[in-house]
Amino acid sequence: MVLEATMICIDNSEWMRNGDYSPSRFKAQADAVNLICGAKTQSNPENTVGVLTMAGKGLRVLVTPTSDLSKILACMHGLEIGGDMNLAAGIQVAQLALKHRQNKKQQQRIIVFSGSPIKHEKKLLEMIGKKLKKNSVALDIVNFGEEDDGKTEKLEALLTAVNNNDTSHIVHVPAGPSAISDVLISTPIFTGDGEGGSGFAAAAAAAAAGGLSGFEFGVDPNLDPELALALRVSMEEERARQEAAAKKAADEAAKQEKVEGQPSGSQDAAMTENVNTATSEADNKANDLMDDENALLQQALAMSMDDPASSHEVRDTDMSDSVADDPELALALQLSVQDSTKDVSGQSDMSKLLADQSFVSSILSSLPGVDPNDQSVKDLLASMQSQSESQQKEEEKEPKEEEKK
Amino acid sequence: MPFSVFVSDDHCFSSEIFDSEMACLHDHSCEDHDCSADWSLYKHIDISKVTALNEAVPGSVKSVFKAWEQRLSSSEEHLESNEGDPELLVFIPFTSDVKIKSISIVGGADGTSPSKMRAFINRDGIDFSDAESMQAIQEWDLAENLQGVLEYQTRYSKFQSVANITLHFPENFGGDTTQIQYIGLKGEATQLKRDVVATIVYELMPNPSDHKARAEGGGGLSHVE
Repeated sequence: MVLEATMICIDNSEWMRNGDYSPSRFKAQADAVNLICGAKTQSNPENTVGVLTMAGKGLRVLVTPTSDLSKILACMHGLEIGGDMNLAAGIQVAQLALKHRQNKKQQQRIIVFSGSPIKHEKKLLEMIGKKLKKNSVALDIVNFGEEDDGKTEKLEALLTAVNNNDTSHIVHVPAGPSAISDVLISTPIFTGDGEGGSGFAAAAAAAAAGGLSGFEFGVDPNLDPELALALRVSMEEERARQEAAAKKAADEAAKQEKVEGQPSGSQDAAMTENVNTATSEADNKANDLMDDENALLQQALAMSMDDPASSHEVRDTDMSDSVADDPELALALQLSVQDSTKDVSGQSDMSKLLADQSFVSSILSSLPGVDPNDQSVKDLLASMQSQSESQQKEEEKEPKEEEKK
Repeated sequence: MPFSVFVSDDHCFSSEIFDSEMACLHDHSCEDHDCSADWSLYKHIDISKVTALNEAVPGSVKSVFKAWEQRLSSSEEHLESNEGDPELLVFIPFTSDVKIKSISIVGGADGTSPSKMRAFINRDGIDFSDAESMQAIQEWDLAENLQGVLEYQTRYSKFQSVANITLHFPENFGGDTTQIQYIGLKGEATQLKRDVVATIVYELMPNPSDHKARAEGGGGLSHVE
């Protein structure tokens, strides 16, 4: 909250017609000026800001340092572009205007917007800088627009001449998508020397940062906290669900790999697929069921998040209502679900069993019309492992088809 | 008008060495309590509001106001002007109105001592261009005073109620910068204070409970019961 009297020197020369800053250099500059005026007057009620134009018909002080923001904004309106900028004279007139400020306790500061090439010598600028420093006037330079060779050098020399204990700053704003005001917001010109900056500055900075970098989900929590919260929660839910599914699949994979080799791996892949499809199915189910199924929906979601393996039950639950009037269908579904559940739990057992040749052959021999010593049977056995996997898939396909009915 | 060199214990006479202004030499062995009691006006200076223009280190001006005994201690910082620019402007506000009898300046060595001093009374916000154009209330030619034994008398009638004094040192003895180690003021302090609005409290909305100025009863209006 430094008590300050500020004079802003605006460049309204012909060079400001250029459109490399959107919408035009002059408009971008005007926005920046308005923003700075607002920040200064807000940070301390006794701060005063004045404005002068350096080009146009001639050097003109539009408004002497005043704390009335409306006056400043009004005079920014209807400014004309033309002529050539006179930087040295501009700074000197600004210094004079500050000298005659009403409240002598205010610190003196000049903010210069330099968009056109500088025709003064570096020496002259250094002399002006020294004079400012001697009278303890701080100077902020906003370098934008023309990138004349030597312009940056001259401005840097001016800054070093003026700078007393880092009270003066220079900001280079390159042409591009970001407006001058956005670039300025994060600089000490806006936030004040060393302090946290006024509330206005901080809020503007936050808003700008939100707009520029994009808040998560593109919504500023300051503007719409409920929406932002809802989006964040749903994103987290989805992420958790996917993580749980992936984790389960990984667990299954680990478990299976201990018992069986490649085949189980593929089986587990099927399982994972199954799980995922089941999960997404559950999701779809959830979406399909309307509000009257809310409780069911909650349960379904909870279950799908906690235990994807139990998605079978979920499916079962979801489907129970839709197929309530078809007992046969329900029975068939239940059987298949049970089987698949059994498959899940007894996966390892089944694999073991299958691996056990004697057991298989005993089963086969009990089957009518099957000769266990037959080559084709043996081949069949070998492909038994993969068979069980496709069996699994078939079982899953069945209930799906039934659902669609 | 011939001046005679006449220095005594009690009071000082103008000497021919120092041309127009009056300066005084302490030839007596300065008992500390004696002299330091005289130079006690520094206690009435509002140190936080002391400012200087063209100082190399902002805030270093506050270090030159100290007790008489410490006037030569160069261990602490001193006031120095910027490189290549010997001008200095020191603004000294007081906590109450004072009467200034004389001023003592201890400068730096090698030509960095100021050679001239100009004073302005009760004007704040003076900068270098003002100082040059305005008529000073009094001007002195200074001598190199490294031991701090020289003091410069004021036209006492003009320095009767001083709320603040601005000292302008336009030149020095040829050095690149001007250094000042000590500024001593001799005089007396009255207890008169000037009206200054010290703190301002800003209110968004008036709150009557904050403004219990009038007496509760009557509210300032006279009642005839």
